Amino acid sequence: MKQTPRISFYEASARQRVAGLLDPGSFREILPPTEKRTSPHLGLFDAPVSFDDGVVIGEGTLEGKPVAIFAQEGKFRGGSLGEVHAAKITGLILRAAARKPQAVLGLLDSGGVRLEEANAGEIGSTEIMRAIFEARRVGVPVIGLLGGSCGCFGGASIIAGCCDALVASEEARLSVSGPEVIETVMGVEAFDSRDRALVWRTTGGKNRFLFGKVATLVDDHIPAFRTAASALVRPSTPLRLDSLRTERDALVRRIATFGTCTDAKQIWEKMGLPADRVSDMTAAELTAAKPA
Amino acid sequence: MSSPDKVARRTEKLARVAKAFGPGKVIPAARTVEFLELILSPGDRLVHEGDNQKQGDFLAEKLAQMDPKKVHGLKLALSCIGLPEHLDLFENGIAEVVDFAYAGPQGGRLAELVGNGTVKIGAVHTYVELIARYFAELRPDVACLVAVDADAEGNLYTGSNTEETPALAEAAAFGGGIVVVQANTLTDNLRRIDIPGEWVDFVIESPKPFHLEPLFTKDPALIDETRILMAMMTMKAIYQKYLPKVLNHGVGFNTAAIELLLPTYGEELGLKGKACTHWALNPHPTMIPAIESGFVEAIACIGGEVGMEDYVASKPDIFPLGHDGSLRSNRFYGQMAGHYADMFVGATLQIDPFGNSSTVTADRLAGFGGAPNFGAENRSRRHLSEAYLRAGAEAHQGEFMPQGRKLVVQMVETFQSANTPTFVERLEAWEAMKTAGFAIPPVMIYGDDVSHVVTEEGVANLLLCRTIEEREQAVRGVAGFTPVGLKRDRTMVANLRDRGIIQRAEDLGIRKSDVSRDRLAARSIHDLVRWSGGLYNPPSRFRNW
Repeated sequence: MKQTPRISFYEASARQRVAGLLDPGSFREILPPTEKRTSPHLGLFDAPVSFDDGVVIGEGTLEGKPVAIFAQEGKFRGGSLGEVHAAKITGLILRAAARKPQAVLGLLDSGGVRLEEANAGEIGSTEIMRAIFEARRVGVPVIGLLGGSCGCFGGASIIAGCCDALVASEEARLSVSGPEVIETVMGVEAFDSRDRALVWRTTGGKNRFLFGKVATLVDDHIPAFRTAASALVRPSTPLRLDSLRTERDALVRRIATFGTCTDAKQIWEKMGLPADRVSDMTAAELTAAKPA
Repeated sequence: MSSPDKVARRTEKLARVAKAFGPGKVIPAARTVEFLELILSPGDRLVHEGDNQKQGDFLAEKLAQMDPKKVHGLKLALSCIGLPEHLDLFENGIAEVVDFAYAGPQGGRLAELVGNGTVKIGAVHTYVELIARYFAELRPDVACLVAVDADAEGNLYTGSNTEETPALAEAAAFGGGIVVVQANTLTDNLRRIDIPGEWVDFVIESPKPFHLEPLFTKDPALIDETRILMAMMTMKAIYQKYLPKVLNHGVGFNTAAIELLLPTYGEELGLKGKACTHWALNPHPTMIPAIESGFVEAIACIGGEVGMEDYVASKPDIFPLGHDGSLRSNRFYGQMAGHYADMFVGATLQIDPFGNSSTVTADRLAGFGGAPNFGAENRSRRHLSEAYLRAGAEAHQGEFMPQGRKLVVQMVETFQSANTPTFVERLEAWEAMKTAGFAIPPVMIYGDDVSHVVTEEGVANLLLCRTIEEREQAVRGVAGFTPVGLKRDRTMVANLRDRGIIQRAEDLGIRKSDVSRDRLAARSIHDLVRWSGGLYNPPSRFRNW
């Protein structure tokens, strides 16, 4: 079956993703590599630095709508959250909270906090979360886009959890603990991190979509991410006590319904989906098949 | 060496088995060790089936459990030393000498056991060389083989991976030997008979299906731009120039890159229909886009590939299918098809300045497999083709007797990894010769068989070299920053480049900025599944969805 080439989000660099998502020529980068804001910690470990510390931030337009955008570069130290890296993201979101563009787009591609900068990175992650809640409080939505090669793990996954909505491809992975970590703690019988199909059906974009964590599932094609993100731009619903209660009740129901399942396939079957076919469905097919 | 009373000994062994197990060919799996001890006598030559893909793992496990007091001094012969049990036979004192073609994953341990005298090597072979010797001086006393299904009469269905089973069965059955088969399932309804029951003495239903290694599955996601550059240079400098119609590709990522560039760059170069129409090849998943784009007319399969069954079954015009609709492969015939092909393209671990190459290193005895047959100038070829004549015109220019020439292309990056150069002044095979006690170094492909060496630095056409000095400088001239490359004679290399013997990317009109993964027809395993219309079913470990 002849295939037309896709513009892969998974394979693109952070800069290529930003260029492909925003309207051509609209992106203005803040603290570009020429500013050389590098990590103050990596030198102590004789590790190479990057002039943007592995994250691109700036402003532009998405189908004409003014947005702020950050994109983590998975190819630099696994997209890890270092001190400068996190501060750039925090600054961008706080600036958005003050200037009120129509949305903040967060392209998360990260294994979590940078090990060499543990404490600074952890603090930086929590600062990002606070900034997201501040943006949401003033009505600026934060939309996470997941589909990079590093997945979205650790601190980055919690940041994803703070967003208004997520767009993901099936290549995306979203989980607090990475597969290797789970295998180390729980044993290979519980979770074989080298079984790639198991890893993806557990943490991958499709399972997160079926669970409701991901709002829109797209194919690995940058224009598909653009269309999906643009459709999700609407004023943020700030977090309040009643919305948190609704969320908690949904989680309680989820445990009650699926708590005894030991594999994502059992969950899909309980949802009434053809469990063996889910992995092979396109984003459009699975979206149509997803139970309301 | 087969002894004159071989048939008498066979009759005696069969009588012993009949006494212990009663009549019939089916042996219960639980009594396998006892059975093997009855059919194997000290000093017997045992052929065990197992290659780079399928493994006779159940029988290997049981052979290693035999009592060395009863069975010892065995002469083991097998295509691939692929399982730890093969070497356990030596540590347990059951076997003493081995003839083989390939050692793959056991190469490290083999080198160690040869070094301390536990294993004696008869010879390291190529696949067809070893199979041929089973019909001459290495006739098996017992052959332990592998099948998917068997019936009580001993008829066998081998599935997609028939490979060398027919050759091994024939050598033993018609050479006074005993043929024993482990089958995944005993059934009355075989979907096809690959081996007639008359050739088979005993069948055992193994508790677990035999292991099948997806050796030919290369994930397009792992093909980087260096490989794409090398692939583009190879396609322009060699495929477009000679237009080889029948060819064989090695198992590595370099040739996988070419396969994935055929529908894009290959189409631009006008190769479709003019070159690459017939192949001697396993069903590589990376061939799916080229097949779907109409490049391929037929593929002679040496073996099968896990996950490709349904896709292969959907292409009866291209793949050799039985009337039952499943693939029939054959290593011997596939190797022969590659032997008589226009071109071989492969890779290696080390090359010396004269183009000799080897995958043997000081601490690994990997063996040769099929590469020396695919990758050798074939002086027994008589049929003609455009590529064969074009290459021959270059190689034999100015000679009295016109001749053709097979294209043998070595595609390597100048470094295997940091500090491990591919180009070396002296192959480690020389060291291995000393450790293993060989008379000459184990060389995979000899330099005078090689027609072209391709690296990221360029293409060296050795056919056009007129002296051994020119050949040496042509190799050094593409060896990059390796010690071999740094010792090049700059004047001579410049002269070779002027004469088109060395071609850089820019000489071929390839701009490095045009080299991109976007050119690959598929960039992931999932893309291959899409190209296959959902018929390719990759093993779990290759999925990221």
